[in-house]
Amino acid sequence: MLKGVAITLELAVIAITVGSFIGLTIALMKISRNKIFNLIGGFYTWFFRGIPLIVQLFFLYYGLPSVGIVLTPFSAAVIGLSLCGGAYIAEIIRAAIQSIEKGQMEAALSLGMTHSQAMRRIIIPQTYKRLLPPMGNEFITLLKDVALVSVITMVDLLRSAQLLNQTYFKPFELYGAVTILYLMLTSAFVLLVGYLEKKFALPE
Amino acid sequence: MIKALNITKKFGSLEVLKGVDLEVKAGEVVVIIGPSGSGKSTLLRCLNQLEQMDEGTLCIEGEKIKNGQKKKDMAQIYQLRQGIGMVFQRFNLFPHKTALENVIEGPLTVHRKPQKEVAQKGIELLGKVGVADKANAYPSQLSGGQQQRVAIARSLAMEPKIMLFDEPTSALDPELVGEVLEAIKGLAREGMTMVVVTHEMGFAKEVADRVIFMDDGKILEESKPEQIFCSPQHPRTREFLKKVL
Repeated sequence: MLKGVAITLELAVIAITVGSFIGLTIALMKISRNKIFNLIGGFYTWFFRGIPLIVQLFFLYYGLPSVGIVLTPFSAAVIGLSLCGGAYIAEIIRAAIQSIEKGQMEAALSLGMTHSQAMRRIIIPQTYKRLLPPMGNEFITLLKDVALVSVITMVDLLRSAQLLNQTYFKPFELYGAVTILYLMLTSAFVLLVGYLEKKFALPE
Repeated sequence: MIKALNITKKFGSLEVLKGVDLEVKAGEVVVIIGPSGSGKSTLLRCLNQLEQMDEGTLCIEGEKIKNGQKKKDMAQIYQLRQGIGMVFQRFNLFPHKTALENVIEGPLTVHRKPQKEVAQKGIELLGKVGVADKANAYPSQLSGGQQQRVAIARSLAMEPKIMLFDEPTSALDPELVGEVLEAIKGLAREGMTMVVVTHEMGFAKEVADRVIFMDDGKILEESKPEQIFCSPQHPRTREFLKKVL
C-alpha cells in the first residue's frame, strides 16, 4: 500500500510539472497576438477541459492500441493527467497574466524592452504571487484525480487498497486507510502552498 | 529632434487626434495643456509609439518611423524607445522590484550592462532625484512623490535624449506635487529635451520654452508661456485658462 502512495505521489508530481509547462505554453499562445497561436490555445483548452479525465484515460489506454499505439498504464496515466491538468493550469496562468495592470507592460516597453523581455522580466514574475492560491487548488485536484488511473490497471494508492481487499476482505480498514493517507497528502500540499505564499509575499 | 506631421489617431470611430503637427528642438521644453480628452496624452504616447498612429509621419532624430506591426519595424520602434524616457501618471513602478532594481532594470535587460556598473549609476540617479536612502525599499513602501521620482530615475537610467511626462503629478497628493516638479525642473535646467503634459500651470509658466494648447484632437494655439498665459489668442484657450487659473 505504501508503494501505492509512492506511485500516486510520483504521478501527481510529474503531472503537475509537465502540466505546468503545457499550461504556460498554452497560456502564452492564448494571449499572443498571433491568430494561429490563439486558435491552437483555444482549441487545446476547449478539447481537454471538455472531456472527462476518466474518458481520456480509457481512450489512451484501451482505445489507442486498436490503431497500433500501445501505451503502458504508467505513460497513459502521465499523458492523460498532464494534458488535462495543463488545460486547467493554462486558464489559471492566462487569468493571472491578464490581471497584471496594463501600465506595467507600457513602462517596460517605454524603457526599450522587447515584448518578450517585458513578459519575462516584468509581467510573469508578478504573476507568481497571484498564481499560488489557484495553482494550489489545481494541484490538490490533480493529486486527487490520480485515483482515476486505477481504472487503467495502474496500481496507485486506491488500486493497491482494492487489490489488498480482494485478498483480505477488510474494506473498512483498507478504504479508511486510503482516506487518511489522501488527507495526509493533501494537507502536506496545503502546507507547502501556504509556505510558498508567505515566501513570495512582498512587503506591503 | 522631434518632427511629427499630421498625426491622426482613431479609437474605433472616435477621432482622438485630428492631424497634429509638432516640432520639438533639442534642449527645448514643450508643455502641452488642454482639457481632458483633448488628445494630449495620446499625442505623447504616439511619440514613443506606445500608441500606433493611423496616419501621419513621425521623425525622431532623423529616424523616420513607419507604421506597422512587422518584425522589422518593431525592432526600429524598440530602438527608438530606448532613447525616449517616459514618466506615467500612475508611476507604473515594478512592484516586485526595489527602487534600485527598478532603476537598473532598463540598462540591465536592454543594454545588457554588468550589474555592478549599473548599480553604481542607479544609486547616483536615485541621489539626483533625492531618494538615494530608499534604494532598497519596495514601491509599496514609498509615498507617491517618492515613487514618481524613482520612476524618473528609472527613465533616466537609459540615458534618453528626450523625456516625455504624461501628467506626472496628477495622481499625487497636493503636498507631494512640489518635490516631483522640482526633479523635473532640475532636468530642464540641465538642458534635457522634454515634452510635458500637465495641469500645473505655474510649472508651465516657469519652465516651458513653449506652451501648446490642445482641444478636441487639434493644436489650437502655441506660443511662449508669457504670451499664452497673459494674452491668449484663441477663444477656447481663453475659456480654458479662465477655468484653471
